[in-house]
Amino acid sequence: MIDVKVLLDTISYSGVIALLSLGITLAYMTTRVFNFAHPRIASAGAYSAAAAMALYTQAVYGDITFSKSTLSLGPLTLSYRIPFDIVIVGILASITAGILVALLEYFLVLRPLINRGADFLKLMIATLAFDFFLIAMLFILGTHISVKTLVSGVFGRETTSLSLHAFDPRLEVEPLGYRMRGVFLLSLLGSLGVALLLFILLFKTKLGVKMRASIENPALAEVLGINVEQVYTIAWMISGATAGFAGFIILFMGDLIKPVTATSPADEIIVSAFAGSIVGGVNSVFGSIGGGFIIGTVEIMVSSMITDLTGLDVTRYNKVLSMAAVALTLLFLPQGIASLFKPEVRARLVSRLRRRG
Amino acid sequence: MAGQWVIKLEEVSAGYGKLQTLFDVTVEIPKGEITVIVGPNGAGKSTLLKTIFGFTNVYQGRVLFDGRDVTQLPPHDRAKLGMTFIFQLDNVFRELTVMENLRLAGYDLQEEVFRSRLEEVFNMFPRLKERLGQKAGTLSGGEKQMLAMAIGVMRSPKVFLIDEPTAGLSPKLAKEVLTYVRILNKEGYTVVLVEQNVKASLEIGDKGILVVNGRIAFDGPAGELLRSKDLARMYLGL
Repeated sequence: MIDVKVLLDTISYSGVIALLSLGITLAYMTTRVFNFAHPRIASAGAYSAAAAMALYTQAVYGDITFSKSTLSLGPLTLSYRIPFDIVIVGILASITAGILVALLEYFLVLRPLINRGADFLKLMIATLAFDFFLIAMLFILGTHISVKTLVSGVFGRETTSLSLHAFDPRLEVEPLGYRMRGVFLLSLLGSLGVALLLFILLFKTKLGVKMRASIENPALAEVLGINVEQVYTIAWMISGATAGFAGFIILFMGDLIKPVTATSPADEIIVSAFAGSIVGGVNSVFGSIGGGFIIGTVEIMVSSMITDLTGLDVTRYNKVLSMAAVALTLLFLPQGIASLFKPEVRARLVSRLRRRG
Repeated sequence: MAGQWVIKLEEVSAGYGKLQTLFDVTVEIPKGEITVIVGPNGAGKSTLLKTIFGFTNVYQGRVLFDGRDVTQLPPHDRAKLGMTFIFQLDNVFRELTVMENLRLAGYDLQEEVFRSRLEEVFNMFPRLKERLGQKAGTLSGGEKQMLAMAIGVMRSPKVFLIDEPTAGLSPKLAKEVLTYVRILNKEGYTVVLVEQNVKASLEIGDKGILVVNGRIAFDGPAGELLRSKDLARMYLGL
């Protein structure tokens, strides 16, 4: 009943949204800033990855044309065009760029405003301003003649509408008879891996204890000798790193998320990323990952199912579905799905639904 | 112990941002005693306490702690040197249980040190032992103050800075909270207490400081301040 391709697409897309929602939530939980520039940090990660990969390819491989290579392992056949070391360079570049841009935003824009006592609204507007700044910077980077020549020379792709979709590796699983896209694995393993790392960080390390204390009650954390400012800086670094990494994945997405330009993909996915954060619960890191997967499912799988059932193509309007998910969440679970883990919230919800029914 | 001080403010002018609330304050906090800071509303007694911990802007003068100039240190560094601050409100991790609060307070302690501190806490406040699994946010006002002090004990500080712990409590509970302060002091901790409950707090205090309009109006034995009817009538309406 459910098309395998739709399922795989859903998971690929959800992973990216989950990564972005997570970063939005983490920044909100620590500094109480809704960072509207967050999805654009992903664009910055994508651009930096493409530029770094092109630079590295030229430096190490010279003038190469990427040809298809295959790697067989039992029933699995992996076919790829970009060697793995280049992929690693791309991932590292995207993460580094994400961290740097997030720190730039935090220290240059937000911290000075917070120190001057700016409220939630002013900070939010400031992140929008930073977003415009990023658009301009990315536009300059994308049209800068040497970057443009380099990336298009190596990958044969335009920087004004950058996609490395054609270079996405394929994994053929023989007995099942279908091909998996590399981006599916990257997105699924990437988002789950980040979730696992974050879990270890938050619950198994001293830094995690400090982070939870700083989130729960910053003033009291300071009294316990915790450098709250430093903890916030680390939270922003993680937020930036995950956004940058999401940007790297988006680079290979192709049809699911439009190619990266200065304005896109942020304009495309900003709605979905914030929806994931809100549905998950803006005060729960792990809720945001769940929220990201819910939004991804709604936008890809549910919209495709509705299209199949009704014959009306609603996939183009799938953002409406994620907005509906946000509306329903705010109506029934204002603290997001993460609050379902609290017994008192569950009880309240049940009694409310009963009253209606 | 006479003459030994743990905290000293030298001609300190301080406030929040551009709003100056303390003017040229010089005081000493004696070691091992309870120092009570009283004064009318908005006189700057809480500012004085917060200045000791580094929550305010110091424009002039020096703050010395244990013989060391800490004027430029941020609060978390002063905490590491052995100060602890108890806020009037929001002084526990509300969403965590009592035990989790104590765990968090001792996050950087070795297991055996943690155990012995925990033992110390239970000796001082046995009632907490019955509340270990309860969420801190659901404790009564008095119990919250008790937990806040226990969190402080877990840090084994040289000095407790306590900001109006009885505010908003019934007279009975307020009296009880002041006995917790005495328990802290009996265990050897130096306490600096800001209080609106002038009579009750000065009765348990060794030293009294009266702050009026951001300046020190009296600095001496608590009993003497309590008895000085003129000051009391003038500033506190007793």
